[in-house]
Amino acid sequence: MRAKRLVALAVAAVSVVSMSVAVAAPSSAATNFCTVTDLKTAGGMDALVAAAKKEGTLNVITLPRDWANYGEAMDLFTKAFGIKIVDDNPDGSSAYELQTIATAPAAKQPDVVDIGVSALNTVTGAGRPSIFAPYKVSTWNHIPNVWKDPAGAWYGDYSGIIALSYDSTVSPAPTKISDLTNPAYKGMVALGGDPTAAQMSFLSVFAAAIAKGGSVTNIQPGLDFFKTLKSNGNFVAVNGNGENYAAGAYKISLSWNFNAPGAIASAKKAGKTLKFVIPTDAVLQGTPYIQAINKKAPHCAAARLWEEFLYSENKGITSAKVTAADKKLSGSKLFAKIMGGQNIFVSGGATPINAPAMIKAKSIIDGPEGLNIPKGAKIVQPNPDQQDAAKKLVVAQWPTL
Amino acid sequence: MVFSKLKSLPLFLTLLIAGLFVLLPLGSSAEFSLRQPTKQNHGFDNYVWFISQPEFGHYMGVSFSLAAVSALILLVLLVPTVVWLNLKGQKLRPFVDFITLMPLVIPVVALAIGAQNSLPEFAQTNQFILSFLYAVLAMPYAYRTLDTGLKAIPLQTISEAARGLGANWFRTIVRVITPIIRGTVLSALFMTLALSFGEYTITSLLHWDTFTTWVTVISQANVMGAIALSVFSLVAIFIFLLLVGLFIKPAASQVAKEEE
Amino acid sequence: MNQPEISTLDRKGASKRGTLSGQSLGLILGVLPLVAFMGVFFFWPLWSVLWSSFEDNFGAFTLKNFEVALGEPYRTAFSNSITLGLISAITSAIPGAIIAYIIESRGSQKLRQFIASISSVLSTTGGVPLAFMFIAAYGAEGSATALLRAFGINIYAGSFTLYSLAGVIFVYSYFMVPTMVIVFSPAVHGIRREWQEAAKNLGATTAQFWRRVGIPLLFPSFISSLLLLFAAAFSAYATARAMTSGSVALVPLMIGNLVDGNVINDQMNLGKALAMGMVIVSLVAMIPYLLIQRRASRWQQ
Repeated sequence: MRAKRLVALAVAAVSVVSMSVAVAAPSSAATNFCTVTDLKTAGGMDALVAAAKKEGTLNVITLPRDWANYGEAMDLFTKAFGIKIVDDNPDGSSAYELQTIATAPAAKQPDVVDIGVSALNTVTGAGRPSIFAPYKVSTWNHIPNVWKDPAGAWYGDYSGIIALSYDSTVSPAPTKISDLTNPAYKGMVALGGDPTAAQMSFLSVFAAAIAKGGSVTNIQPGLDFFKTLKSNGNFVAVNGNGENYAAGAYKISLSWNFNAPGAIASAKKAGKTLKFVIPTDAVLQGTPYIQAINKKAPHCAAARLWEEFLYSENKGITSAKVTAADKKLSGSKLFAKIMGGQNIFVSGGATPINAPAMIKAKSIIDGPEGLNIPKGAKIVQPNPDQQDAAKKLVVAQWPTL
Repeated sequence: MVFSKLKSLPLFLTLLIAGLFVLLPLGSSAEFSLRQPTKQNHGFDNYVWFISQPEFGHYMGVSFSLAAVSALILLVLLVPTVVWLNLKGQKLRPFVDFITLMPLVIPVVALAIGAQNSLPEFAQTNQFILSFLYAVLAMPYAYRTLDTGLKAIPLQTISEAARGLGANWFRTIVRVITPIIRGTVLSALFMTLALSFGEYTITSLLHWDTFTTWVTVISQANVMGAIALSVFSLVAIFIFLLLVGLFIKPAASQVAKEEE
Repeated sequence: MNQPEISTLDRKGASKRGTLSGQSLGLILGVLPLVAFMGVFFFWPLWSVLWSSFEDNFGAFTLKNFEVALGEPYRTAFSNSITLGLISAITSAIPGAIIAYIIESRGSQKLRQFIASISSVLSTTGGVPLAFMFIAAYGAEGSATALLRAFGINIYAGSFTLYSLAGVIFVYSYFMVPTMVIVFSPAVHGIRREWQEAAKNLGATTAQFWRRVGIPLLFPSFISSLLLLFAAAFSAYATARAMTSGSVALVPLMIGNLVDGNVINDQMNLGKALAMGMVIVSLVAMIPYLLIQRRASRWQQ
């Protein structure tokens, strides 16, 4: 009986001591930003910015500059905070990002990734240890539940809609995907890449399926459509990239709406006028791309600042307008002054993940011209499982179409 | 240089047709790169643009140093080996032929994945790992070129003469043999340089950033500039080759003449 | 020219052959640097690919990868790749052999050296730059297309397109023909002019010389060069990738998609199994090459 009492006392004493140590600890120990899970545990925006500036570098991966205006996002981040951004293989794929995390040496690890949902599915799920460090941005509650991990390991950032792009000399100007079988378009239609390898091209086939009476569970009409295009000579199997367009190898293509601003600007330099339009017979919204912080990130504070930046809904200034005086502001004031990533995505033609909340709060800016969704059109968004099922068909049929 | 018409006609025709075939694609993309669509004329705007890019010097330096190290590795490795092969290693010729041929027949993608999986960490953090891999890719051609060159000279006689005069093997190879096969060595060198500069698959799969990966990045911002850059990298090597070819006398001609 | 017997005696006339193990040691040491280099930077990576092709995504042993690799669309891809290899090899070997012969026999030393250097550089072209060159020249709005049209030749009159198997073969020739020139020239060089003169002295015509002596001598080397070209065309990757958007099923492209693509993300080991399949096909092509080379090299001494 006495022993029990003594044990209880001892336990109580130890608990009191350890609790006071625990309370005392944070103020005496430095914040380990690699385990910080939100702005609060980071110690506030000022602390986060200071720590990120100290790290001085951010490793990103496969971010093309003209993809959802990532170029502006990177420029603004670097200009405002003075943090150098290193972009590994801007042209690479989601699979490449995950491969890099799995195999690259410590210094070459990306801090953050931006991957497609199907790639995400290969590293998440039962039995798989997480490769991401959980972090919940300040606007966490604005991200739709279906597009974020409850524990904060990953979260959707923006999505796009498949648009029809065509050279201004094409006549008649196409307005829907079904138009593409017009004999006037002989030798003009190309895809942006290989549908068995590139998400965008795969979803282009899906968009064709919707246009031809298919559905999110039936991609076959899309494959049949391209078979028709191939046999009547409208389809050219060239890579639908900028150089080949400039060389006149193709004139019509399908690609993400958020590629529009960059592609149009680049085409202009090559003396061509490129036009984008959302097809009236299929409004296919892709699943959002997914942001996550790498568990092996070499620059933990910078990574978290980047995420806060990407999910900021501020209307603020762009990189061109950042002044020397701005850079001297405190971290939180500077952060509040610059445009947030969500709006930068809008300027790139993409649909930011927080759009519903931003539209309500009127904090969303206007997107680029011409990419308006046709009134009354039904937005179709195949979910990852439906995409996986469709992929099997595409992989099996495309090479021998 | 007077030849009888009959003798020179096949040569002339061959050079003409082959020359056309080689130059048409090159010329087309060169012409394309000289276009200035916003000004509606031709000029060097695109070239001026990429040369004035701040990263141009950096990437030229990176690719050039990788290429130089690659060429060095191959020469240091192959010249003594092929000399030895021709003098004393005849028995192992089929074996050497085989292993130097392998890189040609294996898809580059496979080598890249393999390198990624198998090479130790320290190798993967130093960009000169690329030089070693480029050397592997260039091996089939470099070996064959050097072998052909060494077979064309009286290697046995020369090396015995040099050794007889007191030179050790190192001096014999470096001071006697290599200068004689100068032309061949240059050929192998150019090829390695061209290959290293143009290599993309391994470079991007192993997350490195060289001239070719930079061209891909640039092509998103300025298609015309990227095209000019590609043309530049091809044409630069050719011009370099032409200049060297004009000024270096193939020293083996002396020896060959005596043979005939 | 080379008299192998002399090299086995040193200056004092004693046999340098020594004991059998001494001779073997010498052979091993001589080839050691090369073998070590290739071992570390080529065979070891290749071995790791072979190893993981037998693993599934969790590291367990499986033959599933090979099972899938033998099904469609990979079977068609293998068939296409082999066809591509053969046709590309043959259509490049013949012009290449002719060029090699004419240059070797009628060109000056300087010209031969120049051609050798140019061929070396051209044989390394490929990928996006090469694809773009051909698109700029022979594409729908290409300058060569326009030039030919001015001469009345419309290459697009039929169903020709650059972005097909035929187009890829056409583009491949840009680096395949120079490769042929490089590998075949030594054989041509081996046709000693003395033999031609000797035949002439014995009363043979040029045609007879070629039919009885020249071609039989060159034939083995031609075939072995052909096999080499096959292997090169079969495993080429960057150019095909830049020229087609997956509409031509080729094995290297499929491997690339599995390893670097965005659509299928969890089948890297399948890619490795396919790579091993390619290695096997290439080796099958290489064995006759080596056998022929062994015979032919006798004449090149």
